[in-house]
Amino acid sequence: MPGTIAPPDIELVIEDSRGGGGGGGRPPDGGDDGDDNDYDRQRGRQPASPRRFSTAIAIAMVSILMFFMALASAFLVLHHSSHMWVAVHLPRILWANTAVLIGSSFLLERARVRLSLGDDRGFRRLWLVTTVMGFLFVAGQLVAWRQLAVQGVYIASNQASSFFYIFTGAHGVHLMGGVAALLFVLLRNFEKSQISRPLAAEITSYYWHFMDGLWVFLFVLLYLGK
Amino acid sequence: MGTCFSLIARPLSFAARCILFVCLRVRACSRAQRFELLKTRMVTYDGDANQPEMPRGSLVSRYLFSTDHKVIGLGYLWLALISVFLGMAMSLVMRIHLVWPGAHIPFLSALGNTPERYATLPLLHGSLMVFFVLTAAPQLGFGNYLLPLQIGAREMAFPILNLGSFWASVVSLFGMTAAFLAAPQNGITIWIASICIFLAAALCSAINFSVTAIDLRAKGLTLPRLPLTVWAWLVNAILGMLIFSILLAACAGLLSDRLFDTHFFSAANFLASQPANVAADPLPVLWQKIFWFFAQAEVYVAMLPCFGFVSHLIATFSRKPVWKERLVVLALCAVGLVGFCVWGQHMFSSGLNPFSPLVFSVLAASLGVPAVILLVSWFCTLWKAQIQFNTSLLFALGFVSLFLSGGLSGIFLARRELTSRAGNEDFVTGHFHLVMGVAATFAVLAALFFWFPKLFGRRLNESLGKTHFWLTFAGVYCVFMPMHWLGLISGSAKNAGADLSSAAGWVGPVRSFITAGIVVTVFAQGIFLFNFLWSLFRGERVEECNPWRATTLEWSVASPPPPDDFGAHEPVVYRGAYEFGVPGVAEDFIPQHVAPNRVARAN
Repeated sequence: MPGTIAPPDIELVIEDSRGGGGGGGRPPDGGDDGDDNDYDRQRGRQPASPRRFSTAIAIAMVSILMFFMALASAFLVLHHSSHMWVAVHLPRILWANTAVLIGSSFLLERARVRLSLGDDRGFRRLWLVTTVMGFLFVAGQLVAWRQLAVQGVYIASNQASSFFYIFTGAHGVHLMGGVAALLFVLLRNFEKSQISRPLAAEITSYYWHFMDGLWVFLFVLLYLGK
Repeated sequence: MGTCFSLIARPLSFAARCILFVCLRVRACSRAQRFELLKTRMVTYDGDANQPEMPRGSLVSRYLFSTDHKVIGLGYLWLALISVFLGMAMSLVMRIHLVWPGAHIPFLSALGNTPERYATLPLLHGSLMVFFVLTAAPQLGFGNYLLPLQIGAREMAFPILNLGSFWASVVSLFGMTAAFLAAPQNGITIWIASICIFLAAALCSAINFSVTAIDLRAKGLTLPRLPLTVWAWLVNAILGMLIFSILLAACAGLLSDRLFDTHFFSAANFLASQPANVAADPLPVLWQKIFWFFAQAEVYVAMLPCFGFVSHLIATFSRKPVWKERLVVLALCAVGLVGFCVWGQHMFSSGLNPFSPLVFSVLAASLGVPAVILLVSWFCTLWKAQIQFNTSLLFALGFVSLFLSGGLSGIFLARRELTSRAGNEDFVTGHFHLVMGVAATFAVLAALFFWFPKLFGRRLNESLGKTHFWLTFAGVYCVFMPMHWLGLISGSAKNAGADLSSAAGWVGPVRSFITAGIVVTVFAQGIFLFNFLWSLFRGERVEECNPWRATTLEWSVASPPPPDDFGAHEPVVYRGAYEFGVPGVAEDFIPQHVAPNRVARAN
C-alpha cells in the first residue's frame, strides 16, 4: 500500500505508477551490479568500488586494440598498394623474445595459483621471475632494433621498416606499462590500499596476457608482411 | 572574498595568477552566495561546516589541482568559452577578407595577413571549435559536472586521471594556438603533437566516463532508469574511446613522419591519391585535408550528448515523459554504432585507399533511421503538452530545427560519389556547420540556460536570452543556407559546363550577404557574453534546489552543490528519470530520489 508508512530499513518496495515505463518494476538492487558496491559505501563515504579497476582495464584494452588495429589496417593497405615496399628481414631473436613472453604468461598464472593457495613466498618468487622475463623481452626487442640498425635498416629507410619500428616501439611502450603493473603488485603495501593484492594481480594478469596476445598478432602480421 | 584576495597576493608566478583569477571569480562568487544563502535560512552553523572533506590547503591545491569533478567540469566549460570566442573571431576574419580582401580590421587582420596564415585560419578555427568547444563543452564540461551528480556517485571513478586529462587539454590548447603563431613547417608539427596530447587526454576521459557510468551508479539506479543524458554520455564515451584511439594511431603516424622521416603518409603517397586538379603546392592543401580528416570523426562525438540534452530538456519543459524512452536509448546506441562505421570508411578515403563509395553511401544513409526515431520522439513528447517556452527550451527547439534542415541536406551528401565532393566544398561547409557546429552549440546553450542555476546558484536573464536566441537563430540560417546554394552552383558549373553566367553574377552579392549575416550573428554572441558575465555576479538568485521542477538527482542538492555533493546521506533512486504527469500525485512530477512513501498524494 503506497499510503501506509513503512519502516525505512525494510526492503524498499518500488511503486510502479506507469506500468513498466522506465523499468519501474525492478527492485533497487535486483539483478544489477550494485550488490558489492553497497558494502563499501556503507563503510566509508568514498564510493570506492574495486570493480571499477577491472572495468577500466577492459575498456582500456579495447582502446589499445583499436589503436593497433588502425596501424595494422594501414599496414595491410600500404603493403598491398605501395610500389616502394621493401620487406624487412626479421631478426631471429624475435622468436626467442616471443617464447620468453609466452612463458612469462604461463608463469604469471602459476604465481596467481600460488597466491590463491596462500603461498606468499612462492607467489613472490614466480611473480619476480615473470617481471624479469618482461624486462628480458624488452631488452630482446632492443637487441632486434640494434641488429636491424647494423644491417642499415632504419626507421626512415622504407615503409616496411617504418611499420616494424612503430609496431615494436608502440608495443614495447605498452608492455612497459604492464611491467610497471607487475612491479606495483610485487612492491606495493596493500594494507591501506583501495584494492586487494589478488584483485590487482588478476587485473595485471589480464593486461599481461593481452600484451602477450597482441605481440603474437603483430609478429604474425610482420612475418606475413615479408 | 577578502580571504581569497589576500591569498592571491601571495607570491605566485604571473601565469598561475592569471589562471587562478578566472577560476577564483567563479568559485568565490558561488561560495559567497552559498554562505549568504545559509544565513538567510537562519542556519546557525559555520558555512565551512558543510565542507568537511576539503582541507584548507593552499589555493593551488584547492582550485588548480582539485580533483573535484565539479571544478574540472567548470574548467572545461571555461576552456570552451574562451575557444568559442577565439574561433568566432577567426571565422569573422575569414568571411570579411573573402569579401573585402583589402579591408583592415584592428587586431584581427594581422591573423590572416599572409597567404599561408590565411590558409591556416580555417584549420585553427576548426580545431578550436571541434576539439575545445564541440567535444569539450557537452561531453567533458557538462559531463564531468553532471554525470556523477546524476548517477549519485559523488566523484568520477578515477579523479586523479581526470585532473591529468584536464591539464593535458589545457596544454594542447596552448600548443594549437602556438602552432598558428609559429613558422608553417614547425607549426604543423606542434599542431599534430597538440592533437596527440588532446586525443590521449580524451581517451583517458572516455575510460573514466564509461567506468563511472557503469560501476558507480547509486543504489537503485538500474540501466533503464538512467537519464537520457547519462546514456548519451556513456555511448559517446564508448564511441570516443574507439575513434580517438584510431585517430591517435593516425596522428602518431603523422607525427613520426615529421619527426623521424617515416613513410606512413609521405607526400608521394598523398599526392598520388589526389585528383589531378589539386594544386602542386601541398602545404595549404595538407593543412585543409588533415582538418577534414579529423572533422568527420568528430561529428557523432559532438552530436550524441546534444541528443541527450535535447531529449532531457524537451521532456522536462513539456512536463511529459520521453516518448518511447527505450527506443530513444536504442537510437542513441545506433547513432554511436553506425557513426563509427561511417567514419571507418572516411579514414580510408582520406589518405590510404578509397573504399567502395557504395558501402559508405549505404551506411551514411542508414544513419537516417535513428535520426528519425529521435525526431519523432521529440515531436511526440511535445505533442499536446503544456510547453513552458523559456530560453532553454527555445534553444533545444532551435537544435531540432537545425538538425532537421541540416539532416535534409545530408541526404544529398550521402548519395554523392566521393569524387565529386571536392567540387562543392561550400555545400559541405554549409551542411556540417548547420547540423554539427551550430546545432551542437544550440544544444550546449540550451543546457547552459537549464543548468546555470545549478552551476552558479543564479539564473541567466530570460529577456536577454530570448533576444540572443532569435538573433542567432535568424543569423545562422542567413549564413549557412546561402552557402548550400553557392555549393550547388559551383558544383553544377563544374559538372555540366552549362551557361551559368547569370547565376554566377549572384555569387558576389551572396557572399556579401553571408558576411553581413555573420557580423550580426557574432554581435548577438556579445549579448550572450554580457548576459553570462552579468548573471554570474548579478543574476537573479535561485533559492530553492529545484527551480525547474525536474526529476533527476542533481536537483536534490543545493545550488551550487557542496564539495561532497550529497552530504552525509547516500542517494537512493526509486524510479525512472522522466516521471512527469503521474496521476494521483500532488505535483506533476516525482523526483527520482523521493521514497515512495514520501510522495505527496493528491486529495
